[in-house]
Amino acid sequence: MKNNLYVITSPYCRARISTSRIMWTVSAALLPATTAAIFLFGKAAFIIIVYSIIASICTEAIIQYLSKKPITIFDGSAFLTGLLVAFNLPPTVPWWIAVIGSVVAIGIGKQVFGGLGQNIFNPALVGRVFLMASWPHYMTNFTLPFVYDAVTSPTPLTILKHSKSLPSVSYWDLFLGLRGGCIGEVCIAALLLGAIVLLFLGYISLYIPLSFIATVGLLTYLFGPTGIGSGDWLFHLLSGGLILGAFFMATDYVTSPLTKKGQIIFGIGCGIITTVIRLWGGYPEGVSYAILIMNAVTPVIDNFTKTRIYGTNIKKE
Amino acid sequence: MKPKEELTKGIAKNNPVFVLLLGLCPFLAVSVSVINGIGMGIAALFVLLGSNLIISLIRNFIPERIRIPCYIVIIATFVTIVELTMKAYLPTLAQALGIYVPLIVVNCMVLGRAEAFASKNNLFSSFLDAIGMGIGFTLALLVISAIREILGNGTFLGLKIFSEFEPAIVFALPPGALLVIGLLLAFLNRKRGK
Amino acid sequence: MEIEYLLRIFISSVFVNNVILSRFLGLCSFIAISKEIKPAVAMSFAVLFVITMSSLITWGIFRFLLAPFHIEYLRTISFILVIATFVQLVEMVIRKFAPALYRFFGIYLPLITVNCAVLGVAVLNSEMFFQNGKPISGSFVYSLFQGICVGLGYLVAMVLMSSIRHRLELADVPKAFQGPAIGFIIAAILSMAFLGFSGFRI
Repeated sequence: MKNNLYVITSPYCRARISTSRIMWTVSAALLPATTAAIFLFGKAAFIIIVYSIIASICTEAIIQYLSKKPITIFDGSAFLTGLLVAFNLPPTVPWWIAVIGSVVAIGIGKQVFGGLGQNIFNPALVGRVFLMASWPHYMTNFTLPFVYDAVTSPTPLTILKHSKSLPSVSYWDLFLGLRGGCIGEVCIAALLLGAIVLLFLGYISLYIPLSFIATVGLLTYLFGPTGIGSGDWLFHLLSGGLILGAFFMATDYVTSPLTKKGQIIFGIGCGIITTVIRLWGGYPEGVSYAILIMNAVTPVIDNFTKTRIYGTNIKKE
Repeated sequence: MKPKEELTKGIAKNNPVFVLLLGLCPFLAVSVSVINGIGMGIAALFVLLGSNLIISLIRNFIPERIRIPCYIVIIATFVTIVELTMKAYLPTLAQALGIYVPLIVVNCMVLGRAEAFASKNNLFSSFLDAIGMGIGFTLALLVISAIREILGNGTFLGLKIFSEFEPAIVFALPPGALLVIGLLLAFLNRKRGK
Repeated sequence: MEIEYLLRIFISSVFVNNVILSRFLGLCSFIAISKEIKPAVAMSFAVLFVITMSSLITWGIFRFLLAPFHIEYLRTISFILVIATFVQLVEMVIRKFAPALYRFFGIYLPLITVNCAVLGVAVLNSEMFFQNGKPISGSFVYSLFQGICVGLGYLVAMVLMSSIRHRLELADVPKAFQGPAIGFIIAAILSMAFLGFSGFRI
């Protein structure tokens, strides 16, 4: 479509940031975590990542072709969605789970709403919860890193859920990713490295991640197993998909609130829901559900935190 | 309108579920398996037929202002008949359909046909209308419950159909019902648009 | 009567077994009225009010009329009649004494008679909190509380849905999906997200 509706009066400053630039930069920021995942889980992780990305890009191309829209598979957004879908899968899943997850993510999570920039929910998480509800046994089948013979092993959070006692994993192991878990969530160090790059470039702000993580830390510290203030908050911060979710999925521009105040409310909401599911819910991990529910609340938050146009609507009488 | 049209309009052109979007709640809730779907479809067909006939018969005696309560009582009577019969002869089906059997009372499809059709037309047309709408409802239930049972459970009428197929449990859960009807409606919209 | 049980009713009716997203009660109104925020909120409050009051009244009917005389089979007829009468009555009272509220509710109040959520909750209450025709201890409070919580669940689903659809007005939704279809897809995703609360234990 040729854009001939230029409205230019002031000398505007043209930013060098474009959608595809953001998408490819975020994907690049996930490179350390991708490398770590392949290092930790081996060929299996690599195959799942490749399948997810290819399925994601193909679905986008097919749907755009069918609905006669311009095909924008090179803007990086489908690539990023595919990568994030793979990051949210355990390394043991068969290839078709990765493919279906990506197809659902792009099809139902994104294109149904009109494509990039118009989706209400984070596409990768739509894919994940669809898979969680469909094939729970595959989605909760984890292995430890460096174990290639498919001996299953529960994640630290699953152990916590079932035995009500902290598993014997050191914080250092959790930080480096030496634990069972989804492909992309385990290596906290690599994820933080990417997050710092994005923060430094100004592509994401700290409001959502910080309020999200702080809420989870505070609540898990308060509601510990043996009374108020006995919780192991550091364990909760370092386990599960919290860091991946807080920095790379909750911060998605399209599906999170616009204002600072809204973003802080969003982060706190995510934190509360995550903690509630982890401590009292049926699932060991609640990050993806928390972000999806808050995605749904985002339009409401935006309505209530709308910035006032200067000089208008001071008080309705 | 010709009698044949009265009969067939409910099946395709004015399908109560896919076109008029009526009676959705029992529709989605019981469509987990084909057998439940057929059970609900026949129950609704019976209630629709009974209420349409009675209302059409006495349509000239019902005072205008209290017609809706009258319709509701007539419908509720037939629903109670279905409820008790089902409990007596098909207890497992009654168990599976649960509260959705009494809820046929507030099924907008039944009340809608009473208000929009039976109260204005003669006995024969109302009979055909009820049969057509009831069959349309049952067929729609059959379609959606077949999709949900095959995808969500890998079976059709309880029989396994694929040997190596891992069913997506989500289709047996509530979100699956919403997803299937959403996609089906979009599919029908697309076909109609062409 | 236990607080924990009340809490379980709350979580269950608002999130896990949300009236609309999991039990599909009141789905017709949910899809039809959720296009704009204000009517959706008006409808939800009307539903909340009617469900609460009707679970109170139907509890009384079941406890003092149907159960003692063993005429439980009249449940469906009596409940729907009472609900219809009650809604009519409320409409007249509100119209007379609170015209502003009446305008706020608008046409949504009479529509509630055929909202399956109201009858659904009444039937559910009579099944959950009565055993062999006898009320379990605290059944009155449970029924009332379940009524309120189901109404809240309706409100939550309605507010989320209407805000989302309001935002989607500007979105380039594919033609085939416009209207009810996209509504169902959003409801499906919401329902999947609420699955996260399943298996809730205190």
